Amino acid sequence: MNEVKENMAYKPQYGPGTSTVAANRRKQMDPNQKLEKMRDVTDEDIVLILGHRAPGAAYPTAHPPLAEQQEPDCPIRKIVTPTEGAKSGDRIRYIQFADSMFFAPCHPYQRTYTECYRFRGIDPGTLSGRQIVECRERDLEKYSKELVETELLDPARTGIRGATVHGHSLRLAENGMMFDMLQRSVLGEDGIVRYVKNQIGEPLDRAVAVGKPLDEKWLKAHTTIFHSLGGSAYRDDQEYIEYVQRIHTLRTKYGFLPKEA
Amino acid sequence: MTEAIYPQVRIVSARFLRPDTVEQLLNRLVQIGGILRMSLTGQNLPATVPYGPARGKPNPHPDRKVIHVGDQDVQLQVQVGAVILELEDESYIPAIEEAVDEVFASKDFSCAVQKGRFMKSQPTVSDYAKYGPDADREILGLVDPRKKGGPVIIQGNK
Repeated sequence: MNEVKENMAYKPQYGPGTSTVAANRRKQMDPNQKLEKMRDVTDEDIVLILGHRAPGAAYPTAHPPLAEQQEPDCPIRKIVTPTEGAKSGDRIRYIQFADSMFFAPCHPYQRTYTECYRFRGIDPGTLSGRQIVECRERDLEKYSKELVETELLDPARTGIRGATVHGHSLRLAENGMMFDMLQRSVLGEDGIVRYVKNQIGEPLDRAVAVGKPLDEKWLKAHTTIFHSLGGSAYRDDQEYIEYVQRIHTLRTKYGFLPKEA
Repeated sequence: MTEAIYPQVRIVSARFLRPDTVEQLLNRLVQIGGILRMSLTGQNLPATVPYGPARGKPNPHPDRKVIHVGDQDVQLQVQVGAVILELEDESYIPAIEEAVDEVFASKDFSCAVQKGRFMKSQPTVSDYAKYGPDADREILGLVDPRKKGGPVIIQGNK
């Protein structure tokens, strides 16, 4: 995990805003703040949900380990320490999330910011309804575990979906689950959500339990989504608006060499 | 699509409905009678995975069920989010509102009955181009007229 260096020229603020939503966003982005652990998921469970390799199988490689191959004389390679996955030449693999607009604890842009601050060697892709992060397989499993186990995920309102992600902007189902055409995760009679398919929709040999859905009160207190109906409205956060308007003005005027008064 | 203008209502719930709730609601509506056409709308639940690496594989979904409405079995193909009804006349609307209130009384979310025009009243040029002049006007605008398997006909009690 990254840590902010103490000798940096400025102290990162992570984001503007005075609302709880803004505070939650800052908390998730700040690598010095530990994310609350909400559930226990084993390494094997993660491998099953990801569906990239069979549990226990060796990591397929895309190139020989760095120690075995000749590296060109490159100053950047001397500065950057390779991650474990890069060192052993793993393939690039992905995990993708869909977050419901009904107070999910995280959302695509937030995930990308969070991951960029917290993880190394990643390539996130942000879309309106889903967010994908690609990296070396070994690193991916480590990062995925953190993304699944911590407060970034709610079993009902966050979906781990590699394909057929549709559902983030839809009404919830009667039992509070986000709509999923492939029904990868099922809410059991005992109130525990289990993944019965991997992220691309192939049935799993055994169900993977990811715990109970978090209650409405917790979600509203921990969400990073502004919501004018039932949550805290974006317009009520004056500081946030001011900041976004400033950025918007500056980038609009950028071509005219802006000077702030 | 008929000459006369029949009143239409739409029943919209705040959550997507489980098949057993749909069954309960529809059976209650069928009892009231006066329904000419009914359409269940919502998100499609395909029988096979439509795209992605697992494309073409079977897609078992617990909500893609056969429900029993009136005297007929109905295969649900969507996760029901709204029910659109076309009625004989407006006198049935209060009874429908009552039935909806009754079904949703025990639920922790609301459901609204809206009045308006919810079914297509005239085929568009695109419809003509896609389906030709002989498309079934009864179902045009509700489902794809080329779809195999026609509507489920539930006999009335008249």
